Amino acid sequence: MGASGLTRILAVASNTYRETVRERVLYNLVVFAFLMTLSGLLLSELSIREDEKIVKDVGLAAMDIFGTLIALFIGVGLVSKEIDRRSLHPLLSRPLRRRELLLGKFAGLGFTLLVNLGAMTAGLYLTLFATGRGPEPQLLKAVYGLYLGLLLVVALALLFSTLTSSVLAAVCTFSLVVAGRFSDVIRGMQDVIPGAPTWLVRLLYFAVPNFRNFDFKAQVVYGDPVPWAGLAWVTLYAAAYGAVALSLAEAALRHKDLP
Amino acid sequence: MSGTPAEVVLEVRNLSKSYRAGHLRARLRPALKDLSLTVRRGEIFGYLGPNGSGKTTTLKILMGLVFPDSGSATILGAPLEDLSWKYRAGYLPEQPYFYDYLTAREYLDYVGRLCGLPVSVRRERCARLLELVGLGHSTDVPLRRFSKGMLQRVGLAQALVNDPDLVILDEPMSGLDPLGRRLVRDIILDLRRQAKTVFFSTHILSDAETLCDRVAVLRAGSLVATGHLSEILNLDVSHYEVLATGGDLDPLGGWPPGVRGHEVLGERVRLEVAEEALLPALEHLRDRRGRVLSVNPIRQSLEDFFLAEVAPREGAWELQD
Repeated sequence: MGASGLTRILAVASNTYRETVRERVLYNLVVFAFLMTLSGLLLSELSIREDEKIVKDVGLAAMDIFGTLIALFIGVGLVSKEIDRRSLHPLLSRPLRRRELLLGKFAGLGFTLLVNLGAMTAGLYLTLFATGRGPEPQLLKAVYGLYLGLLLVVALALLFSTLTSSVLAAVCTFSLVVAGRFSDVIRGMQDVIPGAPTWLVRLLYFAVPNFRNFDFKAQVVYGDPVPWAGLAWVTLYAAAYGAVALSLAEAALRHKDLP
Repeated sequence: MSGTPAEVVLEVRNLSKSYRAGHLRARLRPALKDLSLTVRRGEIFGYLGPNGSGKTTTLKILMGLVFPDSGSATILGAPLEDLSWKYRAGYLPEQPYFYDYLTAREYLDYVGRLCGLPVSVRRERCARLLELVGLGHSTDVPLRRFSKGMLQRVGLAQALVNDPDLVILDEPMSGLDPLGRRLVRDIILDLRRQAKTVFFSTHILSDAETLCDRVAVLRAGSLVATGHLSEILNLDVSHYEVLATGGDLDPLGGWPPGVRGHEVLGERVRLEVAEEALLPALEHLRDRRGRVLSVNPIRQSLEDFFLAEVAPREGAWELQD
């Protein structure tokens, strides 16, 4: 009797979760994130009327920055490190397909990020309560957007991780994430480089995932509504880009020799 | 074995594999050339060859870790691409590396989950196997604190976690002390008693001679010989080795014809004696008041075979294993 594909994916995911929670780098980053959230409390003391905005702004930025660092630095090692160390050999000699391994790794780190964001969100709410603010459900919409962006970072990190070394994969993923956060610059490239061909600008704009789509921080901080339709759209956007990245990763890993 | 031949559990047909070497002016270096072999149920099959002869490459192809340039293989009746045979097989890689953040018990449990074993079976089997490989006292110690030999034992335990019909071991004695090697030998022999099939690579010939029903010998990616040891080796007695001590044993003179060599080892003398000269040599020893310590018939060993068939072409071994 054999395990189903889902069972195997869950086995890899739970082991990946166990691996990530035993990584020292995770705790370092989480501690920094909490410190940054708390620093929002101190900064809010400097402003009489804007204290709530500052706490929210700094708290969400901390989740964004440190979540991205966790997704990137742990994500790039998930496959390349295992290829280098040959720890995949005994696993792939088991009834485990390479795509199941990738999906399990993705799900495992995705769950770690969910737990981390959950803890940091709770910290942010506690900070807001400490300043006398009530619960604000809108904040969760911004956190959801952040989480989608982080999942996409993991998918990209896994893709590069199957293609090259951890260091190079980190550089490539970081570059793509930064480019994706400045996608407006790509769109306005012809203003800076007048000779740039339109097709190239369009290609770059659509090929680079637009991480600004996941950013609802400003709307939440300034009390603007975040429509459900907008959240649904970015969910589809993240799913489509994530699926493409993971499919490419699977294609790269499928016939790769693991000497 | 008698009667009809046992079921084929592993069949390799015309496998070839080359690795790309170099970057700027990359060239292909053949690691395996047109390899074909068959392993039957219940056998202990030794896969022999010097370092770089292609043993590990073969096993990695079988395990789906590297892909052959040409050829095919079936394991337990299924093609390599099929996952079904992996539920019934176990594999110990060469110099295994396991997740060092896990304990031995956690690692075996993880492998058991991948094989679809229920929790209760995993719990019982992990404890039993760790006890079997002598790690019963270290089940909850992180693997990062294990020595090389202990990791090799964990590797053997994980290969057996699904109670496999076919066990494939890549250099199973590597990194083990004499006690560990004895343990692995006992486990392999016990697997045969359970009618399991063991296919293992080694370059330690004494292990193969002690354990194997059949062997295949590889040199520079090509099969040199395959079959029962009696088919590969000349098992006729070539000469006798006589060890004697005491008396007036002048190693330099007076020996009957047929005593081909004599060597003084401290207070002992070692003689190489042709079969027809054995009795005169023993009488000569008695006349000189010598004491015979042992008389051993000498047959061709795997080492002799290796030295004769494989070693002269050592220059051709520089291939990636």
